[in-house]
Amino acid sequence: MLKVVKVSKEFASGDGHVSAVDNVSFEVPDGQFVSIIGKSGSGKTTLLSLLGTLERPTKGTIEVGGRDVAGLSDHTLVAYRRQKIGFVFQSYNLLPNLSALENVMLPLCFAGVTRRDRKQRAQGLLDEVGISGDKQNRKPSRLSGGEQQRVAIARALANKPSLILADEPTGNLDSETGKMIFELLHNLARSENTTIVVVTHDLSIAGKTDESFRLQDGKLVTK
Amino acid sequence: MLILGLSIGLSLVMLIAHQAVSNKISSVKDSIGNTITIAPAGFSGFSQVNNSLTTAQLAKVQALPHVTNVAETLTDRLTTIGSTSPSSFFNQSSSGSSSANNMTSLTSPVTISTGASGSGSGSGPQVHLFISGGGQLPTNFSPPVSIEGTNDPTQLNGTALTITSGTAISGTSSSDNAMVSKDMASKNNLKVGSTFTAYSTTLTVAAIFTSGTQAGDNNVIVSLPTEQSLSGQSGDVTSAVATVNSIDNLASATTAIQNVLGSSADITSAETQANQTVQPLNSVKTVSFYSLVGAVIAGSIIILMTMIMIVRERRREIGILKAIGASNLRVMLQFMSEALTFTILGAAIGLIIGVVGGNPVTQMLVSNSTTSTTSSTQGVVTRFGGPGGGGFGGNFSKHAFGLANVGSNLHNIQADIGWSILLYGFGAAVLIAVVGSALAGWMIARVRPSEVMRSE
Repeated sequence: MLKVVKVSKEFASGDGHVSAVDNVSFEVPDGQFVSIIGKSGSGKTTLLSLLGTLERPTKGTIEVGGRDVAGLSDHTLVAYRRQKIGFVFQSYNLLPNLSALENVMLPLCFAGVTRRDRKQRAQGLLDEVGISGDKQNRKPSRLSGGEQQRVAIARALANKPSLILADEPTGNLDSETGKMIFELLHNLARSENTTIVVVTHDLSIAGKTDESFRLQDGKLVTK
Repeated sequence: MLILGLSIGLSLVMLIAHQAVSNKISSVKDSIGNTITIAPAGFSGFSQVNNSLTTAQLAKVQALPHVTNVAETLTDRLTTIGSTSPSSFFNQSSSGSSSANNMTSLTSPVTISTGASGSGSGSGPQVHLFISGGGQLPTNFSPPVSIEGTNDPTQLNGTALTITSGTAISGTSSSDNAMVSKDMASKNNLKVGSTFTAYSTTLTVAAIFTSGTQAGDNNVIVSLPTEQSLSGQSGDVTSAVATVNSIDNLASATTAIQNVLGSSADITSAETQANQTVQPLNSVKTVSFYSLVGAVIAGSIIILMTMIMIVRERRREIGILKAIGASNLRVMLQFMSEALTFTILGAAIGLIIGVVGGNPVTQMLVSNSTTSTTSSTQGVVTRFGGPGGGGFGGNFSKHAFGLANVGSNLHNIQADIGWSILLYGFGAAVLIAVVGSALAGWMIARVRPSEVMRSE
């Protein structure tokens, strides 16, 4: 269970403060696929950063499995992110000088998995997302946008996280490829019982998720 | 990379120069030895002695801490029977007894040549004299014979003697035995057991020696008591060389000797002379040290700026790594390893520059810095052969000759590039990488993982 209780995030701006996220509360049961929609500047990405412990909330608590992750130390947060969170970004954010396989192996390396095991797991995950054979050894620049996003999803799944946070995962893809990626994430949520939170502009995608939250000026306006 | 390589290369060149010069300074000091020359105040060559030293004074010196030996010498010049006295020819006084008693049956092996361009011939010692007004030496002129009374017949003015035949005399007994140089023996057809006269006394040749110096090869050596007795200078000494147990104690022993002898003696420490001689090398050493520090700082700044640029360009990558679970330390180590790789590649270029440039740069620095000193020491060499010193010995001219050799050899520096230098170079490269990437590491630690979200 992901439980967000009265979370706010303020940033210093000039003389005053700007509330990027303002008193937001919601809950997501395990294995659910939910979306957060809103206009640009509505606080979607900031909320995703808070859920992924990339930022600390100014107020409120974020509980994952009954544990308040907002109060963890920096050192514990690194380990928590490594083990429990998977990120998928709009522009994929693969390391350009590593192959697809090496990109997927990277989080496993940080988790201390042996080289043999991480290679085996990374190959399995890439096969699962549809990147097989020679493509696994290609650098990201030699893969299409959809293929790169599949590699990014495989990387997010590497350490078997309980929560995957996807920031506009179909934003850079054509509609056909976007649908395929969405289906992939949806299937993963079902098969792996992984909670997936997707930030998106695409209302057609948002309409297919288990639940959808709308943000406006940092506030949750509708569910 | 090339600039970093140049920086590391310059560091290595300066390190090589610094080490080569340090080694040279040590070897110069070692070669000059741990001796202290003691002479009566105002004494120079065979000039008039007003305040002679005595064996009683030198016994106090012998008793000082760190002094292991005091070689005492009483020097005189003998005129060959039947020849014109050199003293009357040069119209100068000689030390010690200048009476008609100081005659000898020996003839000096030294060959005298005169004129503007003439030079002596023959195998023995040679002296070239310039006579004012183009005059000539009298036909019966013979160079004087030096006679040294010493309590340490194993050496002559600090130079070890080699006995070629016979047995060395005792320096403390009052026997009428003498040691003559090989050239002197050859000139006068002397063998071990032969006799000759000096001070109207018959002396027996106990040993024949070689000294390896021109001045030494015109010498007769007797024991100190014998010379004091024959010359009528009981208890007097014209010079002494004190040996100190370690070069580290040279300064303190010199001060102690000065305190004991006061104004009655001129004390010349080999260390002082060595320091004056190696002064230009010390300048090179200082220059090379500061250049080394400067080059290391320059290399560190190059790495620092490069790493800052890399970190700024790769903030997004740092954010990704942190977002997917890499710790600050892990990311910093990755970037530091990149800096180290970058530096090692620069070090490889630097090593080539260091190996190729180390020796020539060292030679150039030393050559430029020692030119003036060499000129001055060469002046000492010229005086050595002139009539003032007579070319006939004296501790001062001997020391001057030794220092002149050292001075002229200052150029002969060979910069050795061994494993230690390469290891130092590698160590310096690692130091540059660590120092240069330290600020970059701090910048990495400050990159927030959420930046990866904001940059989109």
